[in-house]
Amino acid sequence: MSKRIWHHPEVPADETTVAWRSAGQLEDTPEFRQWLEREFPQGAAEMTDETEAETSRRSFLKLMGASTALAGFGMAACRRPEKHLVPYSQAPEWVIPGKATYYASAMPRPHGVTPLVVTSFEGRPTKVAPNRLHPDAEGTDAFAQASILDLYSPSRSKAILGSGKPAKRSDLEKALAEIAKNKFAKIGFLFGADDSPTRNRLRGELKKFTNARFYQYEALIGEAAKALGDGVKLIPDFSKADRIVSLDCDFVGTDLVGPVQGFFERRKPEGKGYANAPDETTMNRLYCVEAAYTLTGGMADHRLRIAASQVVKIAAQIARRLASPELVKDLEVLKDDHQIKWVQGLVADLEANRGKSIVLAGSRQPAAVHHLALAINLALGNIGEGKPLTAVTTGNTGLGTISDLKAAIDAKEIDTLVLLTPSNPLYDAPADLDFATSFKKLKTSIHLGQRTDATAHAATWHIPAAHYLESWSDARSTSGIHTVVQPMILPLYDDCVSELELLLALLSDEGKLINGESEEGAPSPAYTAVRETFAAIADGEAAWKNLLREGFHAGSKYEPAAPKLAGTVSADIAAAVVAEPTKDSLEVIFATDSSVYDGRWIDNGWLQESPDPISKLSWDNAALIAPKTAKALGIYDEIIATENKRALGSPDGEGENRKSPLIKVKVNGKTLEIAALISFGQAENTIVIPLGYGQGYNEENQLGINPINASHVGLVGVNRGFNAYPLRTAKTPYLATGATASLLKKRAYPVALVQEHGSMYGRALAREISTIESKDHKGDFQAQLAKVKYQGNDSHAPKNIYLYKPEDRDGQPLINDLLHQWGMSIDLSSCMGCNACLVACQAENNIPIVGKEQVAKGREMHWIRMDRYFATQEYALDSHGNKIKDEKTGEYQKNPEWVRDNPAFVPQPVACVHCESAPCEVVCPVNATVHTPDGLNSMAYNRCIGTRYCANNCPYKARRCNCFDYNKRNPLIAHNLNKGPLGETKVGDAPHLQRNPNVTVRMRGVMEKCTYCVQRLKDAVIRQKRGQKQEALIAGKPSTEMEVTTATLRIPVDSVKTACQDACPAEAITFGNLLDKEKSALGRSKEIARNYDLLNYIGTRPRTSYLARVKNPNKDMPDAPYVGKATVHMV
Amino acid sequence: MANIFPRWTNLLPLKIAVCAGTAAGGAALALAYYATPKAQVVGYQPAQPIPFSHKIHVDQLGLDCRYCHSFVDVAGHSNVPGNNTCWNCHQHVQRESPKLQPLRDRMDATLKHPDFGKPIEWVRVHKAPDYVYFNHSAHVNRGISCQSCHGDVDQMEVVYQAESHSMGWCLECHRAPENHLRPLEEVYNFNYDAETYISNNPQLGVKTTEELGLKLKEQFNVKPKEACATCHH
Repeated sequence: MSKRIWHHPEVPADETTVAWRSAGQLEDTPEFRQWLEREFPQGAAEMTDETEAETSRRSFLKLMGASTALAGFGMAACRRPEKHLVPYSQAPEWVIPGKATYYASAMPRPHGVTPLVVTSFEGRPTKVAPNRLHPDAEGTDAFAQASILDLYSPSRSKAILGSGKPAKRSDLEKALAEIAKNKFAKIGFLFGADDSPTRNRLRGELKKFTNARFYQYEALIGEAAKALGDGVKLIPDFSKADRIVSLDCDFVGTDLVGPVQGFFERRKPEGKGYANAPDETTMNRLYCVEAAYTLTGGMADHRLRIAASQVVKIAAQIARRLASPELVKDLEVLKDDHQIKWVQGLVADLEANRGKSIVLAGSRQPAAVHHLALAINLALGNIGEGKPLTAVTTGNTGLGTISDLKAAIDAKEIDTLVLLTPSNPLYDAPADLDFATSFKKLKTSIHLGQRTDATAHAATWHIPAAHYLESWSDARSTSGIHTVVQPMILPLYDDCVSELELLLALLSDEGKLINGESEEGAPSPAYTAVRETFAAIADGEAAWKNLLREGFHAGSKYEPAAPKLAGTVSADIAAAVVAEPTKDSLEVIFATDSSVYDGRWIDNGWLQESPDPISKLSWDNAALIAPKTAKALGIYDEIIATENKRALGSPDGEGENRKSPLIKVKVNGKTLEIAALISFGQAENTIVIPLGYGQGYNEENQLGINPINASHVGLVGVNRGFNAYPLRTAKTPYLATGATASLLKKRAYPVALVQEHGSMYGRALAREISTIESKDHKGDFQAQLAKVKYQGNDSHAPKNIYLYKPEDRDGQPLINDLLHQWGMSIDLSSCMGCNACLVACQAENNIPIVGKEQVAKGREMHWIRMDRYFATQEYALDSHGNKIKDEKTGEYQKNPEWVRDNPAFVPQPVACVHCESAPCEVVCPVNATVHTPDGLNSMAYNRCIGTRYCANNCPYKARRCNCFDYNKRNPLIAHNLNKGPLGETKVGDAPHLQRNPNVTVRMRGVMEKCTYCVQRLKDAVIRQKRGQKQEALIAGKPSTEMEVTTATLRIPVDSVKTACQDACPAEAITFGNLLDKEKSALGRSKEIARNYDLLNYIGTRPRTSYLARVKNPNKDMPDAPYVGKATVHMV
Repeated sequence: MANIFPRWTNLLPLKIAVCAGTAAGGAALALAYYATPKAQVVGYQPAQPIPFSHKIHVDQLGLDCRYCHSFVDVAGHSNVPGNNTCWNCHQHVQRESPKLQPLRDRMDATLKHPDFGKPIEWVRVHKAPDYVYFNHSAHVNRGISCQSCHGDVDQMEVVYQAESHSMGWCLECHRAPENHLRPLEEVYNFNYDAETYISNNPQLGVKTTEELGLKLKEQFNVKPKEACATCHH
């Protein structure tokens, strides 16, 4: 039942880029072909599962007959049900039923804070968006977008636990009172890495406990402090940086250092808002040295693939040339010719851009790399006022580490510990520290957390933490701007306590715990404390009101610091020397996970279901191995083969039967059995294992192990992946050397990989150009720009003819709105492929999660599909851009291996592109998908009968089918979806509260897809109409004399944002009214040379267009000729 | 005389009577259950917890719609007033009325009623399905009166649904808004009469009500949409 296959014209000779999504496709197996040509992944359209097979056609007819017969008896639907309107008893001020209110708040993060604007409907927060007024506005990432779900999560901790069992609040209060009264308590406080001024002020007051000690712990915070000094950090201003060097620092992804908007603005040759003529000299250049692909590596103009332990050598080589050779005399010089040339080119570029560059060391890297990065930055004069880097001292000084804490417990200097860190030390502390043993020695441990995780169960007391949208607090942003954390709602559960409330309870004389609402009339104690802190910065009611309105206090900054090279530099550098990994002594890299971070988000369904940006794996983690290493270890064939052979039930090599082989990784004397995946662009002899998974398993686990720690996680987090924390040591917590890996025969683990779901095919899907002429006949930057529109089939396909008439019977245009014509453009030059838009869309549009099993079958509901391609220059080219044939062998000459093993990473988000000539519309038998006069391809859900013809006919594969009632029946409960009306419908008491009231919650059998956030558009248009009336009435004229023109009814330029556009930290998505023309950023983006339509040659006239990616390589680099050519063809 | 009717027919009249009776009774019950105003769309008129009379408040006392439905012109929803809106007046007037006892129970702390502070649960009369996003403010600010959709509410002792509110009914007006457009000043005026308005405003230069509608349509630049996404998203 495969679909008609598009027969593409011959590929022109100058298209030499080889692109692929997965190892299976690269190997080009017949199974992959079949997969590609299907409308839906195998199984997505059928009931193949044993449990599903219960409903055969026969039994279905029987049931239908019975229901029709029974329908006559009830006729309940004929009678109107009695519904009630329940207004407020005392209507609160500012609340208008049905209208959202927006408040400034902020989400505390390890690197500072993410300033937010929170949408709230009748006091119910439903969505977060970045606060663009904030000087440190940084957009939002997937974590910030998904944080709202945690507030309503059914698996959220709701009740107090005493030694892991439900306990009475009165007993906890007694325990707190006892501590509060004991001035000589040997008490320790363990904080997170965020910087809250009020908490730091209270820290001073907590010295009432004369023996109090303070520590800071987050699992993945890194060792930068060793190089920079206590509490000192370097904050980058990317807008001032012409050259950026990332030494394994994923600063646009999980290794946040501060706002990155400046970086992305300078990835667009036309500048912010496409205001200028394209000028490559305004672009920045990013060099990235890393072991495995990160989002930053994907953005890099030049990327060097090297084992994580060897990054120090590259740093040393740069320092040798730019800073001081004396510093790195102990480190061996580079031997690899390619690496030497690479560093030479980089050093020359940095020297030419003194004082205008940034060298960043990744948090995973040992202190030595941080020392070297600081030395290079100092030598280049990059640090200081008006320079790209500023050094500051944060408020988090004088805090001990977790090793100090352990020592203090062992030395009996502490017998009471208050844990406020968002990390989970009993699960994620380095294994050799054996923190659990020391933890048991504590007399009292009080854990405050949102999850009942390992630490919560081990502690003598666990207190459920209030969500940041439920508590008063404050925080300092990257550059130290005082930012308020404002609650949107009282804690949903009575016992939820915020960090400040707990500290204030301990500070009070009686130790009385007051949380949420205080007694009648009195404000919450945390509110009073936050206000008191702010009063020291700016006094008066007006300043406070302003803080609440804007979310920040302008002019409050961190004190500058003057970092010097620390005394420990040579010792740290000596310690960082590690032999290069080999096949028998592999390197294990412990990576921050982009779905669960350090494990704290394991119970967040949106994050779990959003596929990893690089591996495209959802719901699990897996060991990632470079193809060559996998071949050397003898597991490559096994991985490719299992994608097909073991999946006999579904010949695609995908779907629910897709499994990855398990491998056994031995390192640091520990072993881990984990599923393995092939990862492209990764350094050889390394294994990347994302952390944070495997926190608890129940009977349903697919590994066949005994249930363990199931109570530590909720429905989402249970049975998720593999726990790599036990492999970590305190000495090198982010990488381990000397590992071995072997295949476990006949053991495999089902994986939900989405990389081939909705595979589009066509030529020049994602287009890329380079700013330099690289001797292959493509010309210089301007010439390449001019050719963007003519890449792929568009170079020779005949001009499009409209398949369907754009007019009605009377010859009037069908798309005829003179006020608004909506359109979008997606800039691949600044899109990095993170999942922020995808999760924001999920929050805005009530998109359900479907669970691992359903994702594996290709039934995920995300309206935005984040495609990820790898592309490489396989063949050597002559000066005309043609392949060179070897006379003797008759084969084409290939490029060196270092080119082929380092493919470009090309992300491309695809949602419905709102074709003006939409193929889906003409095949709908019930007119459920039709065009609106303002150019939207709209979906009337109530009309849809679920034939899925539209999805079949969509060349962009942008449509999704609700195969089950995902919104109503929780797909995470085993077999729940197949139980029909008998299934569990109510899980938890709050998840429905997150729903956007302005978007229909779709049911089973309904197609859905991106609507351009039509609810937001409608709201904006109606608001504009209303405003026009108010103006006329103020003018005092009768309405019959009012002048209402197109201009008065058209919404102001760029005044409406879609959810994805709003969330994007890279400003890659531009949306607006096409009729605003060049006045709007959208209008300008449509006019520039980089703009092209996806699959233009099939004549759909999409409203969403793409802007080609521009790479800005350095022509003196050895890899320059291969950069900027990753135009993706999928044929 | 031979028996024309066999013996078994003796009970037939009784059987027929019983069957007919059951059928008639069933029909009567069904009619009562499904076809009375309580069960209808047009004419649905449920009893309310407090028998609030729009006739008294609007027609006799002259209250504007927006005194109670205060957000109708700024929000999609037309809100139903909270207890405090009623209490503004009724803590002073009609203090003894037994009909208002539920309100006093909820608002008068001195009564110490268990319902104190709770809202009144009004029975919903006008209900658009969940997948319809009707916006009040988009209509009342563009010259469509409350009356066009809700009927003569000012004359209703007990509110009932006056129009069908079906999609076809909506589209009827979206295709020909001139039949319902009013000057913005008259949107909340239930005594509006287009002909009187024309004779009072000769400067408009229109003679018939149709002309007035068409003039307003052009004046306000009203181009109602018929696309699905206008109401369904």
